[in-house]
Amino acid sequence: MKNILEWLENSTAKYPNKTVYSNLEYSLTFDEVSCLAKSVGSAIINLDLPEGPVAVVMGKEPKMIASYLGVAYSGRIYAPIDVTLPIKRLNSIFDNLEPAAVVTSEALKEKVQGILEQVGKSEVKVLTVEELEKTPADQAKLDAVRENMTELDPLYIIYTSGSSGVPKGVIASHRNVICYIRAYVKVMGITDEDILGNQSPLDYIAAIRDIYIPLYTGASSFLTPKEFFMQPNKLFDALNNAGVTSIGWTSSSMTLLDTLHAFKNDTLKTVNKVCFSGSVMTKPVLEYWTTNLPNAKFVNQYGPTEATASCTYYVVDEHTMEYDSVPIGKAYDDYKIILIDEDGKVPEEGELGEICVTGPTLALGYYKNLERTNQDFIQNPVNNRYRELIYKTGDVGRILPDGNIEFHGRKDRQIKHMGHRVELDEIEAAAATIAGVGENAVIYDDKNEVLVLYYVGEATIKELSAGLRGIIPGFMVPRKMINLESMPKLPNSKIDLKELERMYSNEG
Amino acid sequence: MKDKVLAILEGVRPDIDYATEDNLVDGGVLESFDIVAIISQFESEFDIEVEPQYLTAAHFNSLDAMVSLVETLQK
Repeated sequence: MKNILEWLENSTAKYPNKTVYSNLEYSLTFDEVSCLAKSVGSAIINLDLPEGPVAVVMGKEPKMIASYLGVAYSGRIYAPIDVTLPIKRLNSIFDNLEPAAVVTSEALKEKVQGILEQVGKSEVKVLTVEELEKTPADQAKLDAVRENMTELDPLYIIYTSGSSGVPKGVIASHRNVICYIRAYVKVMGITDEDILGNQSPLDYIAAIRDIYIPLYTGASSFLTPKEFFMQPNKLFDALNNAGVTSIGWTSSSMTLLDTLHAFKNDTLKTVNKVCFSGSVMTKPVLEYWTTNLPNAKFVNQYGPTEATASCTYYVVDEHTMEYDSVPIGKAYDDYKIILIDEDGKVPEEGELGEICVTGPTLALGYYKNLERTNQDFIQNPVNNRYRELIYKTGDVGRILPDGNIEFHGRKDRQIKHMGHRVELDEIEAAAATIAGVGENAVIYDDKNEVLVLYYVGEATIKELSAGLRGIIPGFMVPRKMINLESMPKLPNSKIDLKELERMYSNEG
Repeated sequence: MKDKVLAILEGVRPDIDYATEDNLVDGGVLESFDIVAIISQFESEFDIEVEPQYLTAAHFNSLDAMVSLVETLQK
């Protein structure tokens, strides 16, 4: 087993006419996805494109996934791109990616061409899945590509927030995804009878579960429309109609559904497995869910994109509420966790340390950013005997007496906001480019999930808010903006963030 | 009360002109996390509970629609 497509091929042989992916509009069987992916793969090979990854831009639909797999058949890396992002962000992503082509749908073709022009990449070929799927599969060429690949070949590039304002493209290999999916399926107990209810946009890391678990197990995935998450009645109806049994959602979407009283007059009739991840799950929200779905298995998952979506898992049981916070648990299969303290040593038992991860699930690094890759993926400082790379998550934790890991926040200024990874530095850098904005600093009120921007300058809050929306995604635009005469400073003339936090909490 | 609703909306999304926008949800102007923030503040400010059956685009598409939603729920 060295290529994720072997799973697709095995499951297609076993369940050819079974639905593998569906949304409210249509569904595709294993056989249909296989044929489509092979056609897309063959077409890309035939085109003799310049070197480079293939960007995929599409709505949340089964054909988007089939296109990813098609790119994988061609032996290239796929990179999902969300074209609703602000143009400046798309610009830096396309500059880093330099795609050989973009695969999209007929419906989005014009929009994609427009964006490529705006980011100065109009020479990049735009291909539509409707055209590509007409190409007959060329098995000999597909086999030849496969023969030259190893399990360490890259499969995808997924972009995440970068502190300098330039998104980082995390590259994962076939082996990374194979190991993670196998470990997750084992913990959750997913079989070919399960139907997964997807939440994540397909360009996000969390979607790799909804994409690859069906290929491994013969299960199927229902792609939920994004806007249903603010209309719980519609969401629950859709999931109940689809017979969804297993969900892997962000803690923040589960919090959101609690806020919206989702279970008031309704329930999820068929869901019996729930995994939550992405940010800290609070005990009251967990209790809301376990009370409403008393027969379901609940699992807390923790981990960064750089370790292929995860590191650790914790199965909720009758003792969970006795902990100070919901533990992040223990390492999955094919993951190893080490805590490292400030001195580069393993901390004393029960003491805090940075959570570091190693194993065959470590991503290949950041695309075309070797410098940053070498900073974050380093030789294990407590192993001087052989080469062992670890990824420093930047998260702090400690090991409890029962072996579970307890999460203790970040070392740096990266936060988790509404399920998204956000670098506060990136928001500040964006604000500084807006006319009439001088010094500025962002703090995070994690209790209320609110980003707060303090700034100096004559720009109005309205101008600042509108300006930021042109540079960074909506969820990163601070909800609270406060204009100051001057910024509080530390003796070294840096902005005093602690003082800003005090000012904010005094304001109530 | 309209002023209170407007103040909440402007607090959540200061960049929007609520006097003219009448397609806030269907037009994709407000995002899901905006709606959630608005609802939480409606609930605490007006001492109401916005139950799931009221969470439809029509109730949140404009300032006036939200004002009448709050009025309905206050009864």
